[in-house]
Amino acid sequence: MKGGFVIITNNPLVEEKLGKDQDVEYENLSFEETLKKVRDRIYLGHRLLTHPLSGSVKPNETPYKSVMVSKQAGALDLRSAEIIESAIHACGKFQFRSDKYKPEVYKDFQVVDCTLIESAIPSVEYW
Amino acid sequence: MSKIKVVHYINQFFANIGGEEKADFPAEIRVGEVVGPGLALSQKFGDEAEIVATIICGDSYFNENLDKAKADILAMVKEHKPDVFIAGPAFNAGRYGVACGTIADAVQEELGIPAVTGMYVENPGADMFKSKVYMVSTKNSAAGMRDAVGKLAPLALKLAKGEKIGASCQEGYMPNGVRVNFFEKERGSKRAVKMLLKKLADKPFETEYPMPSFDRVEPNPAVKDLSKATIALVTSGGIVPKGNPDHIESSNASHYGEYDIDGVMDLTAETYETAHGGYDPVYANEDADRVLPVDVLREMEKNGVIGKLHNKFYTTVGNGTAVASSKAFADEYAQKLKADGVDAVILTST
Amino acid sequence: MKLEVGHIFIKDIQFGAESKIEDGVLYVSEEAVKAIVLEDEKIKSVKLDIAKPGESVRITPVKDVIEPRVKVEGRGGIFPGVIAKVDTVGSGKTYALKGMAVVTAGKIVGFQEGIIDMSGPGADYTPFSKLNNLVVVCEPIDDIKQHDYEQAVRFAGFRVAVYLGELARELTPDETKVYETYGIMEGKEKFPNLPRVAYVQMLQSQGLLHDTYVYGVDAKKTLSTIMNPTEVMDGAIVSGNCVSACDKNPTYVHENNPVVHDLFEEHGKTINFVCQILTNENVYLADKMRSSDWTAKLCRLLDLDAVIVSQEGFGNPDTDLIMNCKKIEAEGVKTVIITDEYAGRDGKSQSLADADPAADAVVTGGNANQVIILPKMDKVIGMLDYVNTIAGGNEHSLREDGTIEVEIQAITGATNETGFNCLSAR
Repeated sequence: MKGGFVIITNNPLVEEKLGKDQDVEYENLSFEETLKKVRDRIYLGHRLLTHPLSGSVKPNETPYKSVMVSKQAGALDLRSAEIIESAIHACGKFQFRSDKYKPEVYKDFQVVDCTLIESAIPSVEYW
Repeated sequence: MSKIKVVHYINQFFANIGGEEKADFPAEIRVGEVVGPGLALSQKFGDEAEIVATIICGDSYFNENLDKAKADILAMVKEHKPDVFIAGPAFNAGRYGVACGTIADAVQEELGIPAVTGMYVENPGADMFKSKVYMVSTKNSAAGMRDAVGKLAPLALKLAKGEKIGASCQEGYMPNGVRVNFFEKERGSKRAVKMLLKKLADKPFETEYPMPSFDRVEPNPAVKDLSKATIALVTSGGIVPKGNPDHIESSNASHYGEYDIDGVMDLTAETYETAHGGYDPVYANEDADRVLPVDVLREMEKNGVIGKLHNKFYTTVGNGTAVASSKAFADEYAQKLKADGVDAVILTST
Repeated sequence: MKLEVGHIFIKDIQFGAESKIEDGVLYVSEEAVKAIVLEDEKIKSVKLDIAKPGESVRITPVKDVIEPRVKVEGRGGIFPGVIAKVDTVGSGKTYALKGMAVVTAGKIVGFQEGIIDMSGPGADYTPFSKLNNLVVVCEPIDDIKQHDYEQAVRFAGFRVAVYLGELARELTPDETKVYETYGIMEGKEKFPNLPRVAYVQMLQSQGLLHDTYVYGVDAKKTLSTIMNPTEVMDGAIVSGNCVSACDKNPTYVHENNPVVHDLFEEHGKTINFVCQILTNENVYLADKMRSSDWTAKLCRLLDLDAVIVSQEGFGNPDTDLIMNCKKIEAEGVKTVIITDEYAGRDGKSQSLADADPAADAVVTGGNANQVIILPKMDKVIGMLDYVNTIAGGNEHSLREDGTIEVEIQAITGATNETGFNCLSAR
C-alpha cells in the first residue's frame, strides 16, 4: 500500500510535518467540511483507511481532522460509506466551540490530530 | 396547596356505554364526574389531585371524524385548564390506542398541557405516539388495570408538577428515544456479569441499550436477463395522478395508490403530481419522472434493455408514515406484483 | 496462576516528616515525594496536595489516578516493563493501599480535561471522590514537547505510587483476597460443567494522550493477546490517556478492573473464568479488522462459551466494539458488551457511531453529553483556567458565580466503560 494513500486534512501541522514524504491534501476547511470532503472521495470509489472519528477529542471541540483514503478508486466500498456517514452524523451531537479557545491551544489540537494520523502510517506499510 | 386538576379521556367501552355497537358515540364531557378507570386513578391520587372532568368518545367516532373530534375534545380540555391530561389506558384496543395517542399528543402540542397515556406495547398507537407523549407500558388487557394505574398516576403527578422525569425503566413509560441517565444499584460490570449468566442460560435478559432497529433485507439474486424481465415502479415519493384521486395524505399516509400507466410514456405537469408534504414539491410537480422514472424505463423498454415496464405502479407518501403502515401496504401490493408476474421492482424514495 | 491481594485500608493521608503507614494513616514526606518526582529533569517543579472525601475541593485537570501497590512475594514487581523490570506478574502476593490514590494533574495540552470533585453533585459521578487522594501537580520545564510532558507526568505518578506502596511491605493486611485461574486443560478438568468465560478488554491506542501500555509496550503495536486476569492487579496495564476523561481507564481502573473482579466472584461457581483477552483500538481501519479477527479467533481457540467485552473511549472504538461483538458472536460465543453513550445534550441523538443486531446485550455507562452544574469549590487543586476548554465545557462553563456548567464527559471516570460505576441510561 506504500504511497497508495492520500491524507485529507485541515491541519496545517500535518501538511508541514508529513507533506514532504506523504501525499497530503491540505485545505482550510471546518472539521465537518473535511469529513464531507472525505465522503465525496468515498463516493468516487476511494476507500477509507483510517477511522474518521479517531481520537477522543470531540468533533466541534477540536477544529482539526486528518483522514487517510486510498489513492486508487474502485467500486464504492459500502463499509467506508457507512463509517463516514455516521461520523458526519455524529458531528451534530456536539456543541460547536472550536472557536472558543486561546490561540496557543490550537497548536495542541494540531499536535494531537497529527499524532493520531501518524499512528496509522506504519500500518499502511504492512497492508 | 390546591389540588392538581386532571382531565381524563376514555372510550365508550370503559365508560360502560357499550361495545362495538356504541363505538360511534360522539365526544361528550362529564364535568365533575369520575368514570371507569378514573376511579382507580383517583384512588391513587389520594389528596394530591382530582379528576375535574371525564371526556368520553367512541373509538369509531374519533377515528372517522378525526378533525371534528379532535377540535371538540381540545375545546373541552381547554375550558377546564387541567394541570395534566390523561388518556386511557387503552391496553390492546387498537383504535382506542390510536385515539389516546392522537388526543394526548394534540393536548400537549396545541394546548401546552402535559399529557400521558398508556397502552400495550403492540397496540398500533404505541409505535405511532410513544416518542411524542409519555406512554406507560401496560398489559394487553384490562386485567392489567391496577398495574397500569400504578404507573400512570405517579407519572401524571410528576408531569403536572413539572418535576424531572426519570429514565423509562424507572417511571414505567415506553422508551421514547430520549436517553436519560440514572444511577443503578449495581455497578456496570456486575450488571454485565448478570446479563451474561442469563444469556448463557438462554433466559430472557434486557439490554440497556437496544440497538437501533435494523430491518435488513437480504438482496434477491440478480435478475438473469433484464431484456426479458418485467420491471415495476414503486415509490414512497407520493407521485399520483393529478388531483390525487385517492386522497393519499401528505404525511402519515393511511393508504397507498395503485395506478395504471398503460400507454403512459412520460409523466407531465398536466397529468401527474406529488402528494408528499415533506419535500419541496416544485420539481416533482414540474416533471414527476424525476421521482418515478417512467420516461427512462419506457425508453429502456423500447431499446430492449428491459423486457417491459409493468402497467401499474404503486405509490404512497413516506413522510412520517408509520413503519407498521408501510409494511402493511407492501405486504399487500407485493402479492399483487407477484401475481402479475413482475420480476423486479425499482423502489424510489425522496 | 494464583495471586493473593492483601488490602491495607488507608483512612487518612497527612503530610509528615517521614513517610510511613501507621494505624491506617498514611504519612507522606513531601520532601521525599518531591525528590522522586523531580528525578525526571523534564519536570521543573511539583506541588503536592491532599484531597479528602467530602471536602470542598476540585482537582483538575487530572492526568491519571493510581493505586499504590507493592509486590511482596512472587515474580516481578508492580508496573512491569514500566517501573519494574519485565517479568510475568500476577502470582504470589501483592499488597494494595485501599481507600486512597495518587492523582497526577498537569496541563499537558490546552484542552485538557478531567475533573474530580470531592463533594457536591459532581462527586456522585466520579468514583475517585470516595478516596483520599494525594495529588501531584507537575509543572514541566519550558518549551517542552507535549509528548515528553505526558510521559514525564505518567512516569512520575507510577514512581510515587510505587514509593508509597513500598511503605506497606512489612505490614499485615486488613484483609486478603485470593484469585486463581487455571491452565486450559486444568480448568476444564476442575470445572467440567461450567461455561467457559473470558473478558475481552479493548484498550485505547491511537496517539498522544490516547495510548495504553501493556508491560510497557504501546498497545497500538500489539496483536490481540491473552493474559491471566491477575496480571492487571500487579499493574500489567497502565494508562497513557486522559482526553475525554469520562470513559478513559485511569491506571487505577486497570489495577482494580471491575469486570475481572466481578467475573472472579462467579469463578468456580457459575462460570469458569478462563482468561483475559486484550485487544486494541487503532486508527487504521485494517488494524481494527485484524485485531477483531484475532480476538474472535482466540475466543474460538479457547473454546469459550461467552465473553464480556469492554470498550474505552468514544467514536471510532464503537467500530472496534461492534466488529468484536459481531465476529465473536459469529463464532458461536455469546457476548455482553459494555459501552457508554453520546446521545447529545437532549438525549435524542444516536448513542453510538456504529451498531449491529448481534449486539443484543449491552450495558451502558450513561450519556456522556448530560449537562451538570458543578458548584463553586473552596479550593481548586490544579488549574481552573482550563475548565473553560475541557470536553463538554463551553465558553460559559466557568460562570460568574464560580459554578461550572459542563457535560459529564469532563468528569474523570463518569461513564467508565469497564462498568466501574452505577451510572446508566435508558
